Order: sequence, then structure tokens, then C-alpha cells
Amino acid sequence: MQKQSNLLWVEKYRPKKIEDVTGNDEAKALFLEWLKNKKHTRKAVLLYGPPGVGKTTLVMATAREFNFSVIEMNASDTRSEKAINAVAKPATSYTSLDNFSGAAKTGGNVLFLDEVDGIAGNEDRGGVNAILKIVEESLVPVIMAANDPDIEKLRPLKKVCLLVRFHQVRIPLIIALLQKICVLEHVKAEFEALERIAQNSRGDVRSAINDLQSLSEENHSLTLQDTMMLSSRNKDISMDDTLRGFFSAQSIADTSRLLSYSSVDYDDFLLSVADNLPKRYLDATELAKAFDHVSKADVFRGRIGTENWHLLKYFFNALAEASAVNPASYKPFTFITPPIRIMTLFWTKGKRTMLDAICDKIGAQCHVSHQIAREQYVPYIRLILQKKPKSPLAAWFKFTPEEVDFLVKMGRF
Amino acid sequence: MTIVLNSRGFKLPRLEKEKFVNLLHLGLDYDRNAGLFSIKSYNNIEKVIETVGVILGDEVVFQQTCIKCGKSFGCKECSYIEVCTTKFLPFSCVCPKCLRGQSFEESLAKF
Repeated sequence: MQKQSNLLWVEKYRPKKIEDVTGNDEAKALFLEWLKNKKHTRKAVLLYGPPGVGKTTLVMATAREFNFSVIEMNASDTRSEKAINAVAKPATSYTSLDNFSGAAKTGGNVLFLDEVDGIAGNEDRGGVNAILKIVEESLVPVIMAANDPDIEKLRPLKKVCLLVRFHQVRIPLIIALLQKICVLEHVKAEFEALERIAQNSRGDVRSAINDLQSLSEENHSLTLQDTMMLSSRNKDISMDDTLRGFFSAQSIADTSRLLSYSSVDYDDFLLSVADNLPKRYLDATELAKAFDHVSKADVFRGRIGTENWHLLKYFFNALAEASAVNPASYKPFTFITPPIRIMTLFWTKGKRTMLDAICDKIGAQCHVSHQIAREQYVPYIRLILQKKPKSPLAAWFKFTPEEVDFLVKMGRF
Repeated sequence: MTIVLNSRGFKLPRLEKEKFVNLLHLGLDYDRNAGLFSIKSYNNIEKVIETVGVILGDEVVFQQTCIKCGKSFGCKECSYIEVCTTKFLPFSCVCPKCLRGQSFEESLAKF
């Protein structure tokens, strides 16, 4: 079992009782009323609201208090029709097996589908319909949670659910909770520091506790000064500022922190870093080292794709290493931004469109693909037209005078 | 002028059927014996406040109740009113006195 001291404070202080869940008392009351009432007018309940306001925590605390066994499916599980039926159907049809074992009797099963607004894509095909069927047939309470209930896909689910809205937790409530944690963790904190953390969290209790732990765990003290870095958390640090911070960073830790607070597009940022590295490192050996780190970062970015965000720290680390090859050699310079590759695509868009139109015409006349037209036909047609611009070939391909002109003058594409 | 309401029960002037039904749809409950409206569902609370404000012809705010001392207070006393996304709504809160006036140990004892 994990030592209490090693636990994240979010887990360590996760409320065990319903009354300990911070804020949203009205939502809690409505949810409990529904759960206690055996003759539900609505067969399922949908808890919705911003992240970190206590939806999942309330379900877990309730299950603990009512002695329910929670059968949970969250966003990390595939929630296709087949997967949902395999897990949820037995859970909603039968009494818990625990009742037949020597262990204490449970209050029965509860099916909890967390982050239902995340059911999307091919992997989760048929998921919403499967849930609807389960809600209809279920003999046990079905609880769902979502951040955004307004997405089109959830409309059928909303019709069969009691909707319980969770609001952002108020700042004074978060401060009071942070004060309590500070006492229990023997952290001497300035009120203004807790105030800043609470304000910065924007009603998200989870992020407030995480911020408190990261800022105070080491020294067991917290001053307003310590929280200065937080003020940038929710601001958009522009590409220019991120680049400036990146290239002037004095250590890997500095850069990692900067990247985690910045909200730039990672792909664009990677391209911009690559564009600017030759201006940053004038020494060839240092430049080679830096490019090596950037290429590793690029590999991690590829592996992250759209879902493996747990690899983000490796991406940050690799990039941070590129920024700190030789911190002492930094001299201010003018950044190249936006990335050259994106600007090139922008500048050549007209030309590419023209070439596409030419290739389409060649493809239609010669019955070849767009790619073959471009690679195997265009170079020869170009040569012919350069020698004889009024060749009957142009009329046969139905090229416009602009297209002929473009082919004649075009360089290597 | 602002009208301060208590979420546990408040009176409204006699309403047309359509407006009354609309309020019930929005999440209000009506106690016929006491003649009082109360809030049943908080899902459309902003809309409830807006509609009640139109009926009363004035700005409507709800009184806050401190979860520590149980006293009522107004959002105007709170220093976070500018950044609060639920100001004037009848949700649980901690009054400024309880938040700043206690030592950590005292605040812990109240939990």
C-alpha cells in the first residue's frame, strides 16, 4: 500500500463523507434525494459542471457512505456498445457477489459512467445507444458525469436523466479548505498566498490543492512571493514570450516550468524553435547538440499524438535540454516567427492551387492520377511549352493562358 | 434599488398562469399553504433570477448563509465579488469574518 506521506494531497484529502465535499450543497442535496428515492421519476442522473468541482468525489463519497459497490467506466476505457454491455449489463442486472461472500453486505451496485461527454470517435461507436438501453433496463442506479452536457451526442441521454448542475466552487470555500490542509500538513501559509491560489484555480478545487502541494510541500511554508509564478497559469503566454523565455532560460527546470505554463501550439512552437536555433547557437557543436534534443522532442510529440498526454513531460524535457546546451552564451536576438514552414505554405498557396488545377486537367485527358500527372507529365509538358508556348498541346489540355504562363515560368517545384 | 430574497422562501405578486408555470419549469417550487416560492433546482438559477427580477421590476439578489457561523450576509461584503462567477446566487459560502477572523486551528475545529 502506498505510504500516506507519498500520496498526492488531492488523494490524501479526498472527502470520505458527503458532507466533506466542498461547495455545491444544493447539487448534493438534489443528488441524494434522487438516490434515496427508490421510485425514480428519472432512471439515471447526469452530474455536470466544470472540472474539479467534486462530481466524481461526491459519487465516491456517497458510495462509501451508502455502502454501494461502484462499477466505474471512465474516459480511459473504450466505451463502445460491446464494451459497455460487457461491463455494465451484468452490473445493472445482478446483486453484488460480495453479498454472498463472508464480507460485509453491500448496499448493491451503482453504475458510474464518468466523463460521458468524452464518448466519441470510432472506438466508442454505439456507446450512447448502449447506455440508453442500460438506463432503460437497469435495476440499479446509473450515475453519469460530464463537463459539457450541451454536446449534440448527449441529447438523447439528457432526456432520460435527472440533470444536476455543479457550479464553480466559491473562492472563500476553497481558501477555507486550503487553510485546513495547511494545518494538517504543518504548512505555515500567508493568507494572501492561499487567496491567490484559490483565485487562480477558477473554482477548481483539485488544481488549487495541487498548486498548494507543489508550492509548499518542500519548505512547509508559503508566502505570496512563492505564488507569483501561478499568476501566469491562466494567461495566454504568447509565442514571442515563450520563445524569449525558452532561449534565455538558465536551466532545464526553468524551461520545463515555462513550457508547462504556456499555451502555445506545440507543433508551431517546435517549428519555431528549429527555425531560431541557428540564431541562438553560433557554435556548430552546440547547435548540433541542440538539434539532436529538438529531434528527440519531435519524436515524443509524434508519440503523444492526440491522446498520450502522459508523455508530455518527456517532450518538455527534451525541448528544455535544447534550450540549456550553453546558457552562458545567450545574447538577445530577433526571433523568426511564425515558423518558416507555415509561412512558406502560406506564400505558395496560390502557386499550389494553380499546379493542382493543371494536374487535374492532365489527369482528366491522360487518365492518370494527380500524383503521376505532377511527377511524370508536368516536367515534359513544361519543357515543350518553354520551347513552343503556342503548341497545340496547350489547347488539347484546355490550359488557360495563365496556366501556360505559369508552366513556362515555373521553377523547380 | 435591489431586492434581497431568501432562497428558503420568498413571496411574489399574483402571477398569470403562463408566468407561474414558467417559473416552475425553471426550477422553482411553490408552497400553496404558505404562499411562498422556494428553489427546487439550481440548474437554471441565472434564468430564475432574471425572470423573478422582471416580475418584481427590479434587480434581485439572494442572501448568503455562512457555512461556519450560520449568519446571513450579502455578496457586497465579500472582497472576491469581482471574480466570483456565482455572485448573488444562493449557494453555500463563508462570510468574510469567519474567513479572516479565525486562526487555522479554530477554522479546523469548525470543519
